[in-house]
Amino acid sequence: MRHGLMLYFRLVGVQIRSQMQYRIPFLVEMASTGLITFASFATLALVFQRFEHIAGWNLGEVAFLYGMVETSFGVMDMLFSGFDPQNFGRQTRLGRFDQLMLRPVNLTVQVLGSEFILRRLGRIAQGTLVLVIALNWVDIHWTLAKLCYLPFVFIGQICFFGGLFIIGATISFWTLESIEFMNVFTYGGTEMMSYPATIYQDWLRKFFTYILPAVFINYYPALFILDKPDPFHMPAFASYLAPAAGFGVLAAALAFWRFGIQHYQSTGT
Amino acid sequence: MRLFFELARRSFQRQLTYRAATIAGLVTNFFFGVLRVAVLTAFYGVQAEVNGLSLQGAITFTGLTQAIIGYLSLFGWYEVMNSIYTGAVATDLLKPMGYYRFWMAQDLGRAVAQLVMRALPIMLAYAIFFPITWPKSVGQWLALVVAMALAWMISFSVRFLANLAGFWTPNALGFVRFAFILMYFLTGFLMPLRFFPDWFVRLCNLTPFPYIINTVVEIFLGVLTGPQIVVALLSQLGWVVILGVACQLILRAGVRRLVIQGG
Repeated sequence: MRHGLMLYFRLVGVQIRSQMQYRIPFLVEMASTGLITFASFATLALVFQRFEHIAGWNLGEVAFLYGMVETSFGVMDMLFSGFDPQNFGRQTRLGRFDQLMLRPVNLTVQVLGSEFILRRLGRIAQGTLVLVIALNWVDIHWTLAKLCYLPFVFIGQICFFGGLFIIGATISFWTLESIEFMNVFTYGGTEMMSYPATIYQDWLRKFFTYILPAVFINYYPALFILDKPDPFHMPAFASYLAPAAGFGVLAAALAFWRFGIQHYQSTGT
Repeated sequence: MRLFFELARRSFQRQLTYRAATIAGLVTNFFFGVLRVAVLTAFYGVQAEVNGLSLQGAITFTGLTQAIIGYLSLFGWYEVMNSIYTGAVATDLLKPMGYYRFWMAQDLGRAVAQLVMRALPIMLAYAIFFPITWPKSVGQWLALVVAMALAWMISFSVRFLANLAGFWTPNALGFVRFAFILMYFLTGFLMPLRFFPDWFVRLCNLTPFPYIINTVVEIFLGVLTGPQIVVALLSQLGWVVILGVACQLILRAGVRRLVIQGG
């Protein structure tokens, strides 16, 4: 365990140093990945001038949903890049995964440490900025419970998205190509979670409640923190499910990942 | 010209081979369309029309924009940059054809393939699941065809231009990405430009970006009529010329800097 952890930090350290080699391109990339987050939000803010609210939520409240998801997705994207289905499929096709299997170190640690994208700090910074703006616009009645719960919501979200990446990576053991379809869950998930759940059609909302528990990850915690009533009349504990749902998805993903490794067949390259 | 179409045909056929990727892409594009329909429907609420655009028009907008993502390569296109880095550019420059036209021919084949394999199925799926509108007259269809063709040429030149940054820096990825981000927001892809404040639209209209998507959308929806259509198409044509010249000039400057590492 300690050996794995040390190795992980060693791998990540190497990544950071190599990414900092070309300073200017690094900064440009960091700024541009951040900018896309902020520009999305700015677009939304401009459109809100014409519509004023969406399903009873004002701009500040939507910004809260949006900032939470963007920040945690950014953190996840930095930590779990090794599992990014788009990248992992290519690595597997090239036979890089076979190389990892030959080393006497835990595979999960190796994949996790194989890619650490520092420029995601741009996205994280902009996501946090949106969140700060949201907190300024919305008059939140802070209580101790809310303050204590907030970090757990973040961790739950990071686990949730990380789990999706791991599932996508595992599927590419079989498909061997980057599967755009996984974007439905990852990027589609962030898009979907940035708006109040009432706007979606019934089947879509049920899918994101019972099959992929996405509504408990962001929408329900937001209802609790913003003191909004639950239009679906779920039991009160629904708001506190974020960490459980996040860990649940991550645990299921890791089990699937181990299953995938056992059934892995190399491409022979 | 024969060489041009031969290249386009080959590129078209190459696209057709990725069948699984196409189906996965279709599902993804359609799914995001469904999310965008939900967002716009909720924004409209009880309003029937917002700044000259009906809810039905807004739903059609999401379908049309999702349908032409592939046709216009909206989410990224790094082929020229990559060919500069791999050195393939050296042999491509020796070919009996201008470098700009060489890539344009290949992109034409790619675009047409995307039109057939992505744009059509998505519009059909939309027609089944959502109440959408279609162009109503032959004139509108004709204008749409011309606008689509010009939109592709503008999009190609913008992408080509951004990729040329590869001649100047060993890592142009950030720069090219940045160009695609601009494309994402200023073309009217994310939201119809009509929803934005007037000052913002005026700012966008100074750039070539709205002529890649917004013009096509407004002609499709019948928001533009008669002389407005003519003005829109002429503006598109103007940008095609300006960007075409810019591509050639900057390409020439870039080639002069090019150093190929012999292998």
